[in-house]
Amino acid sequence: MRVTNRSIFESVKYNLGNISEQLNKANEIASTGKRINSLSDDPVGLTQSLSIQSSLANIEQMQRNIDYGKSWLSASESALTSVDNILSNTKALCVQMASGTAGADQRSAAAETLQNNLDEIVSLANTNVAGNYIFSGTKTDIEPFDQDGTYNGDNNPFAIKISKNATVEIGGDGQAVFGTLFSTLTDLKTALQTNDVSGIQDAMGKLDTHLDDISGKISDIGSKSDRMDIKKNIFQDLNLSNTERLSNIEDADMAEAVMNVSAAQLTYQAALASSSKVMSLSLVDYLTT
Amino acid sequence: MSGIGMVLDIATSALSAQQQGIDVTAHNIANVNTEGYSRQSPDLETKQPMLTNGLIMGRGVDVDEVTQSSDRFIEKRLMQEKSSLSSSSEMEKYLQVLEGYFNETSDTGVSTMLSDFWNGWYDISNNPSGSAERSSLYEQSTLLSEQFNELGNDLTQVKSDLTNAVSSGIDTINKITHEIAQLNDQIVGMESDNTANDLRDKRNALVSELNGYLDVKTFDQSNGSLTIVSAKGCTLVQGSSNYELEMGGANGDRVIWQDSSGRNIDITDYISDGKIGGWLDMRDEIVGKYQLDLDALAKEFIWSVNQQHSQGAGLEGFSSVTGSNAADTGTGLGTVSSGLDYYDKITDGSFNLWVYDSTGDVVGGTATPITIDAGTTTLTDLHDEINTMAPNVTASITDGKLTINADSGYTFAVSDDTSNVLATLGINTFFTGSGAGNMGVNDSIGLNQNNIAAGQVGSDGTISAGNNANALAVTDLQNTSMSISQWTCDRLNGNTQGSTTSTIDDYYHSLMGSIGIASASASRDKSFSETMVNQISNIRDSISGVSLDEELTNLIKYQHAYAAATKLISTADEMLNTLLQVKQ
Repeated sequence: MRVTNRSIFESVKYNLGNISEQLNKANEIASTGKRINSLSDDPVGLTQSLSIQSSLANIEQMQRNIDYGKSWLSASESALTSVDNILSNTKALCVQMASGTAGADQRSAAAETLQNNLDEIVSLANTNVAGNYIFSGTKTDIEPFDQDGTYNGDNNPFAIKISKNATVEIGGDGQAVFGTLFSTLTDLKTALQTNDVSGIQDAMGKLDTHLDDISGKISDIGSKSDRMDIKKNIFQDLNLSNTERLSNIEDADMAEAVMNVSAAQLTYQAALASSSKVMSLSLVDYLTT
Repeated sequence: MSGIGMVLDIATSALSAQQQGIDVTAHNIANVNTEGYSRQSPDLETKQPMLTNGLIMGRGVDVDEVTQSSDRFIEKRLMQEKSSLSSSSEMEKYLQVLEGYFNETSDTGVSTMLSDFWNGWYDISNNPSGSAERSSLYEQSTLLSEQFNELGNDLTQVKSDLTNAVSSGIDTINKITHEIAQLNDQIVGMESDNTANDLRDKRNALVSELNGYLDVKTFDQSNGSLTIVSAKGCTLVQGSSNYELEMGGANGDRVIWQDSSGRNIDITDYISDGKIGGWLDMRDEIVGKYQLDLDALAKEFIWSVNQQHSQGAGLEGFSSVTGSNAADTGTGLGTVSSGLDYYDKITDGSFNLWVYDSTGDVVGGTATPITIDAGTTTLTDLHDEINTMAPNVTASITDGKLTINADSGYTFAVSDDTSNVLATLGINTFFTGSGAGNMGVNDSIGLNQNNIAAGQVGSDGTISAGNNANALAVTDLQNTSMSISQWTCDRLNGNTQGSTTSTIDDYYHSLMGSIGIASASASRDKSFSETMVNQISNIRDSISGVSLDEELTNLIKYQHAYAAATKLISTADEMLNTLLQVKQ
């Protein structure tokens, strides 16, 4: 085929253009460390990576939710454990006071102790986490119990999401948690003050039920907390595997990227060298006049 | 007549022929880099011989004509390929700009902002009374809306840039066709028996330039003029006249051709190649589609959040609320003539209006149900119903927007809207607007973030600080698949609206994928066209291009012949001298 000067220059231009584009692309990948630098680099990969990023953001949120939920649960747990201890002490007191050896004076002194216990339990039932009362249902801004044990909250325990489809009650409906505990204690106090042995015995029986109730609630909280730990582990695994998948899709294989740059560089140099030779050839140089 | 005179004649013809050969060579060398130039060569021919003394004697050389080496077929193919290269390289350029707008490979894209938005709602559901969570959600939502606005505006801007490009392209086309018409005139005048090579080259170069703007067909006329016809058979050049294109149509964005009888013909959708074809494809098919899709996404996103939000209640009741969407006061709210963007979402149903006195107790102990009939309840009816039925609140209508005011010391809240009328009118909504360009966060939330409806009114009318029912319902939307419109745009067949079922996030992700695919395929098209143009250019140049080596060889060839011819003259001169000496 006839080769003309114009086509020599044009193909030098075209080829150098192509090679410098390759070099530029290889350099972009090597210097950003990413395989995908614009939407068109790998549209399918990009779509996947966007989805994974959304999942990752969601997973991180769920981990935050679980941590938050656990702070409530551990506050509930320690409050109820304290209540449980106080109730055990109260029961021991009852046993002493129910016996025939105790006198009216001792019983009325015990009534004072009982009042302290009652105050303590009310304050435990009014536990809050960062200003939110955990035993007042959804009325988290209102102290659930008055000093006399009147309940001011509502019957909807505060719940949050710990995964797309799972909600967990992290707060409590105070009325359900403490039941008739406050009236039992108030009755007991009256019985102690009035030296009413059968009233004391009556309250002792009720205290057993309350103790059972409270320890049942504590183990409930324990199992919720366990469930959250399991969820958290699952999310940690998911986080790891998603991060790995994301890296597989987005990140450049650095060894390959650097190799590609060198290869493109070499090609470019070779093209420059041969182009400069071809372009400088002309019959003009060999004609003498 | 034979004799020394004849030698001189022959030598003269040789001199002038070789001289012309050198002229043509010089012309070729001078045009070695001229775009569209076709190599010329003199057709040397022996002169008509003469019968002399019974012998047929040659009389020397003559230049019959100067011919061009060019192949019509290759030239046409090259023009076509150049035309599609122009189109695809414009597409590639604009798609790269488009990719840049979406910026999804960095952390500041809509995708990240969407995640932040949903997470903001999760944070509120964890701590519904927390003011930090509320203002953070407000900030994130404002950023997200602004990002949508920016994308919407960018797409609109690209479209108007493209229209401007088309408009200036048309000016160039008119200039080119005018020049071609003039050249036609000159060529016809000049070519009585010769071909006007250079003028033809010039005309070819112009046709090639014209092809870079739009696809044209050319027809050679017997008198040497060229007729040029473009999209939809409209004639651009005929003989010495050219017919201009102009911008027209309702928005001034259509390409109009005027026929000889002065009728305007819209050829916009028929221009398929060249820069103009690329710009129009980009404007009406690619950018058009993404604009419609982005708007469809924004529309569904705004609606689903608003629909849920309007079911809820903030931390406190409202003392006054004005809807963000205006409606016609006299037509059924659920009909298209109401003018509401979301009119079709209204169904027969009702909502509860709770009014609280200064102590927070529900006035009358219960909610006032307000019922809506989608087809017949008008804004005025709704306004009347509230005023008649509900205690201590007053509804009013200003510019088609409904306002509900509580009496001094009273507040109100809404709940259980089965009619969707509240979300449609923009009452107790989160976002305003109905598309990417006009999306925003409701002013009532901007002014008081306690109006973010994280909770719902309880069955007894209470609004609890820790009620997060509505926030949880909003977070559910992240994983809810909804039917979202998806457009197919075609310049010839028009825009068709389809729909796909997907979550908000997934829809956006696949929109990004589709822009990436469009851009990647435009790049492929462009490099394919580039290769084709390069190959055909090489073939064309091998036929028509100038090789300096060849020309220099020819130069030497003609130079030697010229030198030899001068030798003939000096020989003839010597011969004459010899003869004259004999006489002395």
